[in-house]
Amino acid sequence: MSRIIDTGLKELSATLYRMGELAHRAVLKALIECIEGREAHKEVREMADTLLAMADHIEDKAFELIARFQPVASDLRTIKSYMKIAYDFARFGRYALDISSINKQIGGLRNCEEWINSYVKEMSEKTSEMVRLSIESLKSHNTQIAEKISEKEKEVDRMYFEFLDELIKCGATTKCAVSSVLIVRYLERIADHAAYICESIIYIATGQKEVLR
Amino acid sequence: MAVKFDVQNLNAWFGSKHVLKNINMKIEENAVTAIIGPSGCGKTTFIRCLNRMHEITPGARVSGKVIFNGVNIYDNGVDPVIIRRKIGMVFQKPNPFPMMSIYDNVAAGLKLNGVRDKKILDAAVRRSLELANLWDEVKDDLKKSGASLSGGQQQRLCIARALAVQPEVLLMDEPCSALDPIATAKIEALIRKLAENYTVVIVTHNMQQAARVSDYTAFLYLGELIEYGPTEQIFENPKHELTERYLTGKFG
Amino acid sequence: MDYYKVRVVKNHLVQFLVYLALFSALVPLFSMLYEVVARGFSTINIEFFIKPTPTVGEIGGGVANAIQGTLITIGLASLIGVPIGLMSGIFLSEYGELKLSAAVRFLHDVLNGVPSIVIGVFAYTLITRSIGFSVTAAAFALAIIMIPIVTRATEEALKLVPMSIREAAIALGIPRWKTTITVVLSGAKKAIVTGILLSIARIAGESAPVLVSMGFWRWWFAGLNRPVANLALNIFIFAMSPFENWITLAWGSALVLILLVLGISIAARVLTKGRY
Repeated sequence: MSRIIDTGLKELSATLYRMGELAHRAVLKALIECIEGREAHKEVREMADTLLAMADHIEDKAFELIARFQPVASDLRTIKSYMKIAYDFARFGRYALDISSINKQIGGLRNCEEWINSYVKEMSEKTSEMVRLSIESLKSHNTQIAEKISEKEKEVDRMYFEFLDELIKCGATTKCAVSSVLIVRYLERIADHAAYICESIIYIATGQKEVLR
Repeated sequence: MAVKFDVQNLNAWFGSKHVLKNINMKIEENAVTAIIGPSGCGKTTFIRCLNRMHEITPGARVSGKVIFNGVNIYDNGVDPVIIRRKIGMVFQKPNPFPMMSIYDNVAAGLKLNGVRDKKILDAAVRRSLELANLWDEVKDDLKKSGASLSGGQQQRLCIARALAVQPEVLLMDEPCSALDPIATAKIEALIRKLAENYTVVIVTHNMQQAARVSDYTAFLYLGELIEYGPTEQIFENPKHELTERYLTGKFG
Repeated sequence: MDYYKVRVVKNHLVQFLVYLALFSALVPLFSMLYEVVARGFSTINIEFFIKPTPTVGEIGGGVANAIQGTLITIGLASLIGVPIGLMSGIFLSEYGELKLSAAVRFLHDVLNGVPSIVIGVFAYTLITRSIGFSVTAAAFALAIIMIPIVTRATEEALKLVPMSIREAAIALGIPRWKTTITVVLSGAKKAIVTGILLSIARIAGESAPVLVSMGFWRWWFAGLNRPVANLALNIFIFAMSPFENWITLAWGSALVLILLVLGISIAARVLTKGRY
């Protein structure tokens, strides 16, 4: 049975899905740029700005729904979570921009040690997989996919600390060290936010606040 | 917190129609408990069982226990008239006694129970009207007819009248459904104030009102108690699927 | 359109017929009033109200004793009839769901339809045969006529008091019988008083039962076991008599009686003005 609030909720989720797609593309672009050395800063910047604007729009729309329809129970949890997820997507955009800025500023990982490049590449793959998973779980409201992300998040965490250890042990050129540490740091944060998104999905479905990290 | 009503296996019938099915519920003292549910689910019947008003309808029948202050009000030796003095009731449509002044309306419960002393009556009338947030609006002319007040004022008059006999509990059957939003807001604020000293049980078909006003919410459906818990839990994360569907308006 | 014109004509025709019926109903009323006022007005003077019935052949005289007698009779009848009618009305309204109530209601309706002369004969058999022609017997007969009217008026008035008022009183912890006689009754006061007044107006004009149970009386009140003079009965007796004097008095009495009934009816209307 369709309710008045359903139209608003559909609009909200449609915008959120678009945000998710855009955030995913932004992250991918920034990572490819960084690994393969292609210049894409302007594009990534535009995407990040769009994501911020979309997050604002989603927040406004969510408050409008709350004021007008006094949603309760699952509707309320959905709206609350959508606002959080929108913020998380905006953060994806921000981190993508940060990564892209490093490329622009410092030159990325071109001509860096092989082991650094492969570490970053592996972490990038895992992270973008997490981003993809989080968006899929959002679209399908599937809590099982959401649960899977917990393992991946722990992996990315592990890799992050391992990398730091390795770097201290092995050392590297200053430029590479600085770039790679920053990039790996941003990757770890992106992974965290992907986990937050999945926590929100679980909260919508069950009302429980699980910690997946 | 203490339990004011311990409802055990309460069943109620209108003739052969079984309208309340095995209700088990503990109602907290000095808190507001809201009873919600779709039309015909038995909410009004339920609160009318709490002050033995259900049985005045011809053909009405009750089984089970309602333990109030340690006594089952449906025990053989219990006089319903005494029970009703301790458990007051306010109805959906304001019903001040016609042809009686504001003063007489509020004093009615006391006068008809034998209180004659004018000083006591005066004090009781003033106290009750103040409790009901009506004193300031009517204090200059208590001799005015009860029916000359606005809807919201009449309802507060009925609340004052119920409070005058100093009950411990106030049962309210959709007290705001005949009132405009401003009058409703005044009564809701009044209910929260009264909860400090009285146990309030309110039936409402307006979910938002239950959310605003109550500490505990009970969801009734087709005569059964589906879910009962603290209001913030029921409205954020109901445990039962029926409750979820009712709250989000997905009832077909 | 033709159909439209036909409808307009039909409308006007029916309207005309309706007004015609109205006038036909009003004509007897007004002509009767005119007659009574015209013929009775001249009789009305101070003497009329002070002097008792004149003896045969006497000049002058009045209907003072008849006025006294009528007031005593209807007073006595009310004393008997009103309480009984009130309580029956309360019973029917408050306990109306009992099977007994349906029977009671039906019997009241039957009683309402019994011809007043029959009631008079009943009173004669019961009372007059034991204590003689008396105002008691007449009051008894009139009370019986009153009861169904008061019962019906009380029941209807109480039914108009909404159930919510009763429930409010019961919820205050007031026993059921007390709610009835205080809260419910006070809400129905005006309607009940109106019903009582109308029943009084009705019995003020009854002559047949009075004749049978009490008979004609020319003097002042002489005890409960003796008759009293009665306005309605006097009209009957005087009008049929061959005495000029009495016939004139009959018209005067008729005028007074009509004014009395009119007065009571107006009082009833005025009382109902200020309702809820």
